[in-house]
Amino acid sequence: MNKIIKSYAPFMQAGIQTLIIYRMNFLGFVIGGLIYCFVMFYLWRAVFDSNGEGIFLGFSMTDMVIYLFLANTTSQLTYSSVSEVIGEEIKDGSISMRLLKPVNTDLSYMFSELGEVTMKLLVLFLPMITGLEIYRFCITGTVMFNAINFLLFLLSVVLAYIISFRVNLCFGFIAFYVKNLWGIGILKNSIIGFLSGSLIPLAFMPDRLRVCLEYMPFASMGYTPVMIYMGKYGANEILFRIGLQVVWALLLYGLSKLIWFGAIKKLCVQGG
Amino acid sequence: MIYAEHLRKEFRKTVKDPGLKGSFKALFKPKKEVVVAADDISFHVPEGEILGFIGPNGAGKSTVIKMLTGILTPTSGECRINGKIPQNDRKNYVKEIGAVFGQRTQLWWDLPLQETYNVLKEIYEVDDAKFKKRMDFLNEVLELEKFIKSPVRTLSLGQRMRADIAASMLHSPKVLFLDEPTIGLDVVVKDNIRQAIMKINKEEKTTVILTTHDISDIELLCDRIVMIDKGKNVYDGSLHELRENFGQTRELVFETDNSSNLTEDLFRKGLNLKGSDLVIESEKNNFKVRFNSTKIPVGEMLSYTLSLTKVKDISVKDSDIEEIIRNLYRQGESSDE
Repeated sequence: MNKIIKSYAPFMQAGIQTLIIYRMNFLGFVIGGLIYCFVMFYLWRAVFDSNGEGIFLGFSMTDMVIYLFLANTTSQLTYSSVSEVIGEEIKDGSISMRLLKPVNTDLSYMFSELGEVTMKLLVLFLPMITGLEIYRFCITGTVMFNAINFLLFLLSVVLAYIISFRVNLCFGFIAFYVKNLWGIGILKNSIIGFLSGSLIPLAFMPDRLRVCLEYMPFASMGYTPVMIYMGKYGANEILFRIGLQVVWALLLYGLSKLIWFGAIKKLCVQGG
Repeated sequence: MIYAEHLRKEFRKTVKDPGLKGSFKALFKPKKEVVVAADDISFHVPEGEILGFIGPNGAGKSTVIKMLTGILTPTSGECRINGKIPQNDRKNYVKEIGAVFGQRTQLWWDLPLQETYNVLKEIYEVDDAKFKKRMDFLNEVLELEKFIKSPVRTLSLGQRMRADIAASMLHSPKVLFLDEPTIGLDVVVKDNIRQAIMKINKEEKTTVILTTHDISDIELLCDRIVMIDKGKNVYDGSLHELRENFGQTRELVFETDNSSNLTEDLFRKGLNLKGSDLVIESEKNNFKVRFNSTKIPVGEMLSYTLSLTKVKDISVKDSDIEEIIRNLYRQGESSDE
């Protein structure tokens, strides 16, 4: 374990340093995400206003605000750009330089990305949680923060990130076959955005569809932790959901390894 | 040390007819074609040798190097380096090798150069004392101090290449693969890089495989060369031998007041030479004689020419390797037809 940290920590450090060099880019990313949240907020407020009852399919407006901001922040936190990185490295052939290093390929991708995740955690996520708790306190007048739920939420977020990373890794390996990922990358992002509930809460979907979606790995990538944080799940349900996340993480880990061993034999390095 | 046995690599590629129409056709009915980049390549390199791996563009040099470094999997055949098959245990294998691909970089593009070395130190588990000694050595031969604090993306090509070479040598690899390490560099930097390669080869018995288009790289560094063309072995042997077999041609250039009276016939009759053993080109005051030095010694040719005319200046050109390789390539081409 110690050895893993020693040889992969540099990837993480380098990731953070690179991010700091391109800090305007990162700032733009954070602000862009916030603007998107506010757009969604006004859209949903219009929905609630026209409904007139204050409660919409079991969600109050306060719930909705928490859900929107939290779901977006969580999905940004668990977002993995590894498929784009692999796609780019395949396209310009620089993947050969990565293969020359005595490191585990997927771990090296993961740790470079963890640098970015750490920054998002500090700059985006913690302020957002604090803001949301203050908002809840102002509206309801009571402190609703629950430490146990929060810890379970963090655990669930970690699992969500691992699942998201593995899904994107599998997807990135497709680049070994198709050589350029850009188009299907956009397709993938919109599918995940919809199926993971970061666009519309899965609770609003028709029952049968909802049950299906909740069992798919996409719900585990964002919806599950948010629902835990909001206290929408009971103790048993939380255990079950986290168990499901673990199962998906393991399955996708196996799948990504399998694809990797097939893909590496197909590799042809483009350009010299 | 390095064994390559019957290496073969095939790529499938989609061929498309020219133009937009062709592109559409390829979109709906792609035509696949198998390209053989390397075909039955075999050679071996003993420990401590510098091998020049040469061939024209597109001969398959890089493909072979990529198979030897474990990046590509051969379609058939096998390579074994230091007793290990690169494709079987890539992670452990690459610890023992260093590689530079002239057109790519392994440096962290956005970070100061020093950071890359720190990262590599951790990845290759080099301990502090060794690392310091190594950096001093590399600083000395490759002169990295001036730009070691600058971000890699701001380095010039020559600086970047020196930095890349240093990066490949940092962990004292047993085998070093250098794919065109001097491409696009000026004479001073080339010399720096050659010095580094020579030193590391001498002091640590590092085995080096070097591909290059620069003939002086080969002349200065390589004990032996393997030449491939169109994916096949063409020549395997020492440089000296190659020169013996294909490089007897010498060239003398005279600067004279008037060279119009010096005709090829005169030389042919006077020295009793035939066919391609003698070629003469004259242009204004310059007069060029190219001849086979096994038929007539250089001294004799010199004194004969001096007896015919008044000479202002003389230069002698050794048969350079470039010429030899051109001959070899030409031979390869004509045997194809």
